[in-house]
Amino acid sequence: MKTRNDCREWRELLGAYALGHLEGDEKIGLEAHLEGCDQCRGELASLQPVAQMLPHADPARFGPAPQPPPDLGQRIAATIAGEDRRLQQRRRRRLFGGFALGASTAAAVAAVLLLFVFGGSEQSPQQKVEFADLPAGITIDATLEPHSYGTEIHMYVHGVPSGTLCRVWLRGANGASYPAGTFRYRWGDDSDAVLSSALDLSRTRALVVDTGKRTFVAPVDRSAAALQTANKEEPT
Amino acid sequence: MPGRMIQLGNSTRGALSRERDVREAYAAHSGELYGFAARSLGDAGLAEEAVQETFVRAWRAGDRFDPKIGSLRTWLFAILRNVVIDLGRARAVRPAVAEGGIEPSVEPLDEALTAWQVEEAMRRIGDEHRRVLVETYYRGRPYAEVAEELGVPEGTVKSRVYYGLRALRVVLEEMGYED
Repeated sequence: MKTRNDCREWRELLGAYALGHLEGDEKIGLEAHLEGCDQCRGELASLQPVAQMLPHADPARFGPAPQPPPDLGQRIAATIAGEDRRLQQRRRRRLFGGFALGASTAAAVAAVLLLFVFGGSEQSPQQKVEFADLPAGITIDATLEPHSYGTEIHMYVHGVPSGTLCRVWLRGANGASYPAGTFRYRWGDDSDAVLSSALDLSRTRALVVDTGKRTFVAPVDRSAAALQTANKEEPT
Repeated sequence: MPGRMIQLGNSTRGALSRERDVREAYAAHSGELYGFAARSLGDAGLAEEAVQETFVRAWRAGDRFDPKIGSLRTWLFAILRNVVIDLGRARAVRPAVAEGGIEPSVEPLDEALTAWQVEEAMRRIGDEHRRVLVETYYRGRPYAEVAEELGVPEGTVKSRVYYGLRALRVVLEEMGYED
């Protein structure tokens, strides 16, 4: 062992040395070699941090790594798609807020895009509702989404006094009203109110919003709702 | 689902703002992220939650990712680290779940990261190298005994320990480790 003059042979002892496993002549011989060999000293310096990390690990965990469930990627994609949809709605409102007529074109384009992009079976198709007779300065924006329990309603109101209590209903084909709940409008709050009603979207003919002083009614497009129901029933 | 491949979002947003980019990032990095999350949280359900939250946060902040500053992997790990801290804190205020859980402070998390890095690196090096490191280092067995069991000279065990440490170093560097 003492006769090792080949650098490589000394180098191959550096692992055991870094782990504190070398003893006796081998240890003394290697240390003497290290005194005079820059290369081996450099090599030792690169192994020492690794040796210092070893005690942190648990050798029982060196087996196969745990894998995420196979559907996690799909779930994340669906979450992001949902958030993206809400973000785009909000962006459109900021661009077109207060110009209800101008917004309708953009909304129509966006609705087509949404149907195209989210047309898959996992995403419920949304239906945009237009309030045609709003006074100047008031914006009401709503989208309806069919669910098995009924209809989800995303409402956005702007321009009424802050603190206004808004009550919402869906009106069915037979003229009966189905309550969808209440929300309060606050200045500076740009978020949607999310409400729901037990009335099926395919049977909804109008969305009604009561702001206390006035009541606004928007027709719900029967053909679009019927089409969505047909799509929903198709086998996937 | 071909519709999903359509570019979403505003084109001024950055590298991870599109759904497709997130999908690619998920395909490339979810295994490692999940492994670390499971290691540090010690719970498969929480690990899933952590990975989901990491990709959602990454997507939201997609325009802040700059590949000139660091790799996507490093960025995702930095986000995951924060998510794990948040989940650890949330769990700490729910005592029923917190039993045997991690401390919500930063230090144990860094230890968990080091542990996970070494364990992951050990999985990636060759069997022979891992074997000698396990026997000599973790089980503390004499080199002569290990050599006899493997049917190789003692010098070979020593050289395998050396090449094993080197392989670990290379793999750790690939995983983003720096001195």
